[in-house]
Amino acid sequence: MAVCTVYTTQSLNSTFSSSIKSHLGFHQKNQQLVFLSSNGKKWGSSNKKDGHNTVTNNNSYLITCSAADQQTVVIGLAADSGCGKSTFMRRLTSVFGGAAEPPRGGNPDSNTLISDTTTVICLDDYHSLDRTGRKEKGVTALDPRANDFDLMYEQVKAIKSGVTVDKPIYNHVTGLLDPPELIKPPKILVIEGLHPMYDSRVRDLLDFSIYLDISNEVKFAWKIQRDMAERGHSLESIKASIEARKPDFDAYIDPQKQYADAVIEVLPTKLIPDDNEGKVLRVRLIMKEGVEFFNPVYLFDEGSTISWIPCGRKLTCSYPGIKFSYGPETYYGHEVSVLEMDGQFDRLDELIYVESHLSNLSTKFYGEVTQQMLKHSDFPGSNNGTGFFQTIVGLKIRDLYEQISASRAKAPVEVAKA
Amino acid sequence: MATISGVNLSSPRIMAKAAKTPKVQLLNVGWLRCSWKQSAQLGAIRLRVPPVHAAPDKISDKVEESIKNAEEACAGDPVSGECAAAWDEVEELSAAASHARDRKKESDPLESYCKDNPETEECRTYDN
Repeated sequence: MAVCTVYTTQSLNSTFSSSIKSHLGFHQKNQQLVFLSSNGKKWGSSNKKDGHNTVTNNNSYLITCSAADQQTVVIGLAADSGCGKSTFMRRLTSVFGGAAEPPRGGNPDSNTLISDTTTVICLDDYHSLDRTGRKEKGVTALDPRANDFDLMYEQVKAIKSGVTVDKPIYNHVTGLLDPPELIKPPKILVIEGLHPMYDSRVRDLLDFSIYLDISNEVKFAWKIQRDMAERGHSLESIKASIEARKPDFDAYIDPQKQYADAVIEVLPTKLIPDDNEGKVLRVRLIMKEGVEFFNPVYLFDEGSTISWIPCGRKLTCSYPGIKFSYGPETYYGHEVSVLEMDGQFDRLDELIYVESHLSNLSTKFYGEVTQQMLKHSDFPGSNNGTGFFQTIVGLKIRDLYEQISASRAKAPVEVAKA
Repeated sequence: MATISGVNLSSPRIMAKAAKTPKVQLLNVGWLRCSWKQSAQLGAIRLRVPPVHAAPDKISDKVEESIKNAEEACAGDPVSGECAAAWDEVEELSAAASHARDRKKESDPLESYCKDNPETEECRTYDN
């Protein structure tokens, strides 16, 4: 697997980077690599035979090809099953540009999603015990004993350093481990699942980490929505499943949130007294301070404590309205900034009005958050803080990726000039 | 499984322990998504693909069965590992069933066409 890096600062939607785009038909030994500049002009080509090759074209751009040159940016997303990881992934990959799809021609039960820039892998693929094994030993999938952290660490480390890996596939339908699939190093690798921040070695590989923290009340409401129509399920079975898994969840999954750079907390609303329907939500975006390449979003004045009700004379909102708050807090001993939204958007002007009052959103144009939200208005949470903050986190990760790429590109260019 | 067989790359790879994995991969359920993709290449006949309900139904059966098993496993000792593992299986299958429903929605050729072309005649919806 050769990875070619062109030392110019590139945006996420750039047209070169052949190694990532050609997920199919990349298996020939000899390949023609054609580099296109942003205006589509061909400016250099080489016929590659091995993993190391340097090409200099007429314009004296330096192109080096080697497995170790491109470093994949690795993002961790932790959450329990049924807490919106898939929706978040769809929003995230959409912000990066291009829809993420399962690998073509592969195992139809593969858990992997691939887009031009991003590969999302599901950490269930690192189960060391299959369904029968867990049943025999009496352990849940939440239990570290059911997972192979050594292999997880080795493979994430390999991908990060530009090496293709043969990753196992855990089949969620059969409960068996299927034969592995090839994962090539993408620009951005997202590892999502129950334990991305559990093992300290894996944690150290993450450039950014997110934890989706769904309160018990909301988790119950969401699972009722998801499962009630399913044959065999009842309120009792849904409740029993949550309760039986809770000790392992509390022991192994929940503690990971202390390591996350961003936490999205989902709680019942405070706008409606004693509401337990779980329809209106209060969502908090907890952003760690001092994380390199990550500047927290703020409302009106960075570092101040703000409470804001956008609805009033200037903006009319539907019941029960929208309430925002922002301010510095401490979270597991870390300094954080917290942005909170209670209520939901029912109209477009509410959404764009709120967006225009937030700063540090890392948007590329005015209204980009609103545009993304509208594009996926059919996704769950598109009218409340879950969708809003997921979109914002997506933009922050895009920005983080671009800053990391720029900082890596700087050094070699300077060397080349000298 | 074209991406796995016959690959000859010169760079090192970290291999998963393939010996442990049972060879049943192609016997898995046929997803609608899969059959739709193959037929989509033929273009003209894509709208005639019959809806394949087999996969989600099969998962639904498994969900139902797993709930029964969990209730039995917990009857004796509700705090045992077996009980937790059995309910965990219910959660896993319920999530898989939900994902299968989402995929089925996405893979409806008319739905995806109409998402991009809502004004066309075949995509119009009428109230009353």
